[in-house]
Amino acid sequence: MVHVVAEDKIGKRTLLMGNEAIARGAIEAGIQLAAAYPGTPSSEVMETLATVADDLGFYAEWSTNEMVAFEVASGAAITGVRSLVCMKNAGLNVVMDMFMTLVYSGVRGGYLIVVADDPGAHYSSNEQDTRFAAMYANILCFEPANQQEAKDMARIAFELSEKFELPVFLRSVTRLSHASGDVTYGDMRKEKRKAIFDRHWKLPYRWNVYGPPSTVSKHVWLFSRAPLVKEFVESTEFNTLEIVKGARVGIIASGIGSSYAREAVRGLGLDGRVSFLKIGTPYPLPEKKIGQLLNSVEKVIMIEEGDPVVEMQVRALSNSLAPGRKISGKMAIDQILNPYDELTPNVVAAAIAKFLDIKFEEISKSRLEAKAEIRKLVAPRSSTLCAGCPHLGTYWALKVALRRSGGKVWIVNGDIGCYEQGGYGIFATKLAPSFVDHSVKYDIDTPYDTLDTNYIMGGGIGLSQGEFHAKYEDGAIVAVAGDSTFFHACMPAIVNAVYNKAKVTFLVLDNAWTAMTGHQPNPTTGMTAMGQQSPIFRIEEIVKSLGAGLVKVADPYNLKEAREAIEEGIKYPGVSVIITRRLCTLQYLREARKSKTKIVPYAVNKEKCTGCKICIQLGCPAIDFEDGSKKAGIDPLTCTACDMCAQLCPFRAISPGGSQ
Amino acid sequence: MNKTKDLNLIVAGVGGQGSVLASHIVADAAVRAGLKARVGETFGAAMRGGAVSSHIRIGEDVQGPLVAEDKLDILIALEPLEGLRIGVKYLSPTGIAILNTKAVPSIDVNIGKATYPEISTIVSSLERLCKKVVAIDATGLSIKSGSAKTLNMLMLGMAAATELLPFPIEILKETIRERVPKGTEDLNMKAFDVGYKAAKELL
Ligand SMILES: Cc1ncc(C[n+]2csc(CCOP(=O)(O)OP(=O)(O)O)c2C)c(N)n1
Repeated sequence: MVHVVAEDKIGKRTLLMGNEAIARGAIEAGIQLAAAYPGTPSSEVMETLATVADDLGFYAEWSTNEMVAFEVASGAAITGVRSLVCMKNAGLNVVMDMFMTLVYSGVRGGYLIVVADDPGAHYSSNEQDTRFAAMYANILCFEPANQQEAKDMARIAFELSEKFELPVFLRSVTRLSHASGDVTYGDMRKEKRKAIFDRHWKLPYRWNVYGPPSTVSKHVWLFSRAPLVKEFVESTEFNTLEIVKGARVGIIASGIGSSYAREAVRGLGLDGRVSFLKIGTPYPLPEKKIGQLLNSVEKVIMIEEGDPVVEMQVRALSNSLAPGRKISGKMAIDQILNPYDELTPNVVAAAIAKFLDIKFEEISKSRLEAKAEIRKLVAPRSSTLCAGCPHLGTYWALKVALRRSGGKVWIVNGDIGCYEQGGYGIFATKLAPSFVDHSVKYDIDTPYDTLDTNYIMGGGIGLSQGEFHAKYEDGAIVAVAGDSTFFHACMPAIVNAVYNKAKVTFLVLDNAWTAMTGHQPNPTTGMTAMGQQSPIFRIEEIVKSLGAGLVKVADPYNLKEAREAIEEGIKYPGVSVIITRRLCTLQYLREARKSKTKIVPYAVNKEKCTGCKICIQLGCPAIDFEDGSKKAGIDPLTCTACDMCAQLCPFRAISPGGSQ
Repeated sequence: MNKTKDLNLIVAGVGGQGSVLASHIVADAAVRAGLKARVGETFGAAMRGGAVSSHIRIGEDVQGPLVAEDKLDILIALEPLEGLRIGVKYLSPTGIAILNTKAVPSIDVNIGKATYPEISTIVSSLERLCKKVVAIDATGLSIKSGSAKTLNMLMLGMAAATELLPFPIEILKETIRERVPKGTEDLNMKAFDVGYKAAKELL
């Protein structure tokens, strides 16, 4: 059966997730290559494309990081082939060098750059707004309001990209990428182009920014494309202006913000009373339409998801086109919306109501009181590592090894992946800030309190070296990262550590998958995005050849083995790399289900259990503690029989099936 | 069948209960019936056992994917605590809560760092927030009807029994048949019917 996004049915109307809609648009445009690195909320674009790539005859890959993905897709575009690259917000930071430079040569085949931002930081290290990057690079930026537009914009982007000879940027957000809506299909372009290469295509030394006449000449060329782009943004229906005669207030709303704004207008009974400019291209803006709106009203409300990117431009335009307008949005002057966190229907409606000084449907006092009372009953449901997750074993072993390293003030530098939960502090009680001027020791109770630093992918291994070279001597310096993260950004940092003689211990938690983002394959998996087998990269071989002095592989399910390896690493007077290797539990369970392997869950012998709670400190969600009996218990439905809790129970009270 | 106004639903549960599939089936059925639909998902980390809720909006002209606070018409709670978490924020005073009474305690409760509210307290709290609460041990019913895995479809049956869905029930059934895993169609249809009947008795 063909996947729904690959169906060649013009006019078909169906429910698609935003990311699927983007994939559908690219398919309709006839892409021949797609490359991406996973990152929530962007991953389903590539997951969808990879599923249908074989059937539709195009190439799709999960690359080792966003920069590589970007370069792979750029290479295809230079040879005249339609290509797409996709990443999450943070991914674009990794790509910036090539991103800022590719625009000097432009492209020959249509090139779509899809970036999914994450206002509200549901899945991200920050809330950055990548529309700024499109402005920075001087390329067209699309921002869809719904799934239909996501499909339509992705589709037309390729044509436009070929017309402008520049990449086109599509900025999505979590509430678009991870939301579904009705989408009507267009036709599918089936023509496949032959990849061709011409060094001097239309411009001398086209694909070489150092080629004659000069780099600046290519920058000049970039600006020469602006009129074409401007002409498009003025005429496209993605930017629509509805002027209400006599209205004194206008709303300018971009992307998903325009969806919230339209509903707020309706909900507040303002239909037919305010003018509305819906923006689909936050860069460049349709200046004529903005001028028309500004000149027809006295006040303007700005609604957009993320930073005030459109607002900054509108304020600047207003100075010359229609001075004296009151403009309110997220910027400090006359601010009505917070410049952080995501928009919601309530936030938008309340902001518009406040601006217009009209009554926003208020909730009665008694209802608010009832809600406050009820809210107190709602127990938290903290996110944890899975039952039987190998990272639990690594963190247990690390905790014991650190304690045995002399009990000094260690630093554990974290990284991004499932194991980042080692820094979620979900059961933490010590939240008071500290103001002393010496190192302070904080012991680790559950694994969720292990990580001392955490920023971005590949960050920990670099930070650890700075700590060492700053002459930090109050305790061990450790960094952790997963296998996908290792290939993404850690290798140059390891070479740096070795060459510049740092003394750090690096733990690689190898579970053979990019698990956090929904199980994409990576070079430790043995499979490509399109399902082809590929040789597995062994991280120990790589780090040995990079010059790490001590390299050990341990099984995190064997707590003693893992602890001893980490202890050895901490003692080692140079760069040590400890690889804790065990298949991701979710993959293990999937395989067990397929092969019908029976898993015999563990159980607690209630006579032997003393209620010491040491097993609770493993942080496994299958282990509970009964308040009444003051004994531990194991949920037979979620236990994966990993054996870790049995190993650490001082009273040998835990065993398979509880038979011991 | 109610065609005049937008309908807001939220399916709330924990990872693995099938709330995402259930919400997509409802929205898909609406699209098949010629309406517009949106589904907005909020998961915590996509790990097992985390809270998962899915917003569904159906109507002639729905735009955004999120339900506004106090505007939820139908809450489908596959798990009681998650039902309360969503209900207290979103339920409309005129809304209906369809509640599975079988608890899945959170890790915070399991290790003694938090207390799971009494089910009767959850029910009475929801009653303070909305017009009607339909509370059933839906997990127990779905096991009886053949498999615990059909809990989501059983509760869709309960939602259909409210007669508030703005499209014919046949379209919903047809969508379920097409979208549940192959080989489980009959099991899921049976669960749907069991849920429909059980809720009818209480409505
Ligand atoms: C620059 C960047 N790209 C992508 C992501 C999304 N992301 C979060 S964790 C992760 C990788 C996790 O894989 P791995 O390191 O193998 O750890 P696991 O989750 O398997 O434990 C990715 C790609 C990100 N946070 N930053």
